[in-house]
Amino acid sequence: MDHRPQAWGRPRDDVYGAYDASYMQTNQPNQHTQSPIVTGTSVLGMKFKDGVVIAADNLASYGSLARFTDVKRLRTFAESSVVGFGGDVSDMQYLDRHLTELAIDEAYTSTTTTPNAQPTLNARNLHKYLSKLLYHRRSKFDPLWNSLLVAGLDEAGAPFLAAADLLGTTFTSPSLATGFGSMLAQPIMRGLVPDEASVAQVTREQAINCVRECMKVLFYRDARSLDSYSLAVVTKDGVELSENEKLENQSWAFADRIKGYGTQTV
Amino acid sequence: MDSLVARYSRPAAFQNETLSDDQYDDFQNDVSPSLSLKFAMPPVAQLTMSSYLHQPSAWLRAATDDRSNPNCPIKIAHGTTTLAFRFKDGIIVATDSRATAGNWIASQTVKKVIEINNCLLGTMAGGAADCQYWLAWLGMQCRLHELRHKRRISVAAASKILANLVYQYKGMGLSMGTMCAGVTPEEGPALYYIDSDGTRLAGNLFCVGSGQTFAYGVLDAEYRYDLSEEEALELGRRSILAATHRDAYSGGYINLYHVKEDGWVKHGFNDTNPIFWKTKLEKGEFTNVTSSLE
Amino acid sequence: MAMFSQNPVLNGPNYSFAEVPQHAVDGLREHRFNPYTDNGGSTLAIAGADFAIIAGDTRLTAGYSINTRYAPKVFKIGGSTSSQDDANILLSVVGFAADGEALKERLDAVCKMYRYRHGKPMSVSACAKRLSTILYQKRFFPYYVHAILGGLDEDGTGAVYSYDPVGSYEREQCRAGGAAASLIMPFLDNQVNFKNQYIPGSGVGHELQERERVPLPRNEVEVLVKDAFDSAVERHIEVGDGLQMMIITKDGIEERLLPLKKD
Repeated sequence: MDHRPQAWGRPRDDVYGAYDASYMQTNQPNQHTQSPIVTGTSVLGMKFKDGVVIAADNLASYGSLARFTDVKRLRTFAESSVVGFGGDVSDMQYLDRHLTELAIDEAYTSTTTTPNAQPTLNARNLHKYLSKLLYHRRSKFDPLWNSLLVAGLDEAGAPFLAAADLLGTTFTSPSLATGFGSMLAQPIMRGLVPDEASVAQVTREQAINCVRECMKVLFYRDARSLDSYSLAVVTKDGVELSENEKLENQSWAFADRIKGYGTQTV
Repeated sequence: MDSLVARYSRPAAFQNETLSDDQYDDFQNDVSPSLSLKFAMPPVAQLTMSSYLHQPSAWLRAATDDRSNPNCPIKIAHGTTTLAFRFKDGIIVATDSRATAGNWIASQTVKKVIEINNCLLGTMAGGAADCQYWLAWLGMQCRLHELRHKRRISVAAASKILANLVYQYKGMGLSMGTMCAGVTPEEGPALYYIDSDGTRLAGNLFCVGSGQTFAYGVLDAEYRYDLSEEEALELGRRSILAATHRDAYSGGYINLYHVKEDGWVKHGFNDTNPIFWKTKLEKGEFTNVTSSLE
Repeated sequence: MAMFSQNPVLNGPNYSFAEVPQHAVDGLREHRFNPYTDNGGSTLAIAGADFAIIAGDTRLTAGYSINTRYAPKVFKIGGSTSSQDDANILLSVVGFAADGEALKERLDAVCKMYRYRHGKPMSVSACAKRLSTILYQKRFFPYYVHAILGGLDEDGTGAVYSYDPVGSYEREQCRAGGAAASLIMPFLDNQVNFKNQYIPGSGVGHELQERERVPLPRNEVEVLVKDAFDSAVERHIEVGDGLQMMIITKDGIEERLLPLKKD
């Protein structure tokens, strides 16, 4: 402990070593020993009156290399919820295995012990489970480098959409997007569903069209994105997952108006 | 074989991935967890080969040392003037009441005299939480001593319990400078200084905290062992006032106690501002400050 | 001991005014993961004669992005079910949202276990002490939160307890926490504790009498809270969207949601 009045009570350098600010740097991926290698970009999700639409492209990048172009980043859980993963792909696969085991276990225990109980975890339960897992791993300084969206229905059958990230931070909103999508797509989606009350006015088609439009905008500007993507719709009838969607009606007309990047000067 | 079966029949979902040990205690064992010695540690590796012998504390420091890094995320309340001195009728304990986190005054109403029990007082300087927690813990130990031995604990013993405890945590980032004051029939007025380095000193007079030098200046000049009670209280008050006047990290209210053999007596928690003006205008001190209204 | 190992001739008696070095020597380091982030937002609590109000904005940010416009920061604690209908304590947490959530769930579990074991709800003062120890248990890996606890004490008087991240606590009349604490707290000092308010015409210069401190009535406090947040929203980017206000009285806990500017 330092006894000089101007630093009274603070740690002494000769006891604790010089102050090392590197511990407190913000999380910029490639400065870390444990850092994502093969990564997925944004995941988008949006509620509508009967359920939730969720989408993510099929690309796994290796740095700036578009390494794997058929990686499915949406995963159904118990035929009633969908989890969308952004961030590290190996951690996504770990969570995928974990969820598979969890689903088997849930299906096994919940049907044998209580005959009339709900078959398994709903989307809210699943989200709570995953966020606890992420928070626990961050507390061990061994994070799962993902940001994920959970889409489905809650215990009352209402649309449920929530996010969780590598630190265990959780939040929910009528529309959500991770990564680049939070800057490029979220404003577009908020135009359709600015608040919870407006969700009841949005039809399935409107929501799907909006999310497709957002995927297109992301493809225009996110250099780590792809034109083939997965899209899932969760309603009370279950999950409709389509893993080979293609962006349609692209218009690159804006491209020749772009000026001033890199060596281009005119 | 059973352990193998157990290991492979309950896969990932049951690897206890979501609950940590300390939280398990909350549910199973809520009788004894308070004031325990179990602490969650940052999972930073202790490298034995390198010079980073104090990895968890280096990490903790990176997160909490607001002086080395004003932008550190967690700012722990700091900054103080506390004093205590022995005289013929007991011990005077006086403190200011300001807590600062960086340049921000977190509170002007901190109770920096901690009533360990009705005979013992502790003072708070350094990390506010460290002092509060460990002096409360000391109170518990003192009570246990009373129950075991059927008599009051001596101040020497109480202060040594605390000193031994903080010494165990040396180098881990605790920050406290505290004084234990009490009067017992065996010891008379007894005053000990304990800090988070593990130092424990007996003495007549101590000032602790960022404003200690200013308080020492006044206290040393006027101190005598045979002060009357009246004079002693005024000296304690005047010393803190000097410190609040010159140390930016001290201020707020003056908290004044008198410890006697049959317990301590509180002598108010008073705003420094009126006391300052009273001292200046009625006694003609602090002539460096102008009082003219023009 | 390192304290005495310095060369006294060169450094003097361990009293060098040299500034601390800003950079540590490079060496082996295993982790560079920062487990903390700041999710912004602000909270505010005021105690009255027979009520306590805890309020918080509902914006949750990450850097300059708004993650969501509705993430509550004030929670009911210690009800007998998850609906918290019979809760008697309020907790607000601001700082790192995941730590706040973990802290809230932990305190809630403790209060529920207490209710289950003792057949009565935990008193606010007991809960306040327990929260302090929970925070201090993580002294070496702190929860990055500024917590405020509110309720009614044994006499039915409003009580507000405020905490630093490692568990030092104090009962206060009012407290603001979080991103806009430095904007709101001075306002509260003046309007709740009447700091620097004097009775007009009571004297000149040092003769001036201070205005007497009285607990404010509930309707005035509610207006005060709204004004405080409206002002904070004007000057702080991390505050806005919605104002969640929880009012605890002897009749229970009332929740109000008011709009704030969303820009």
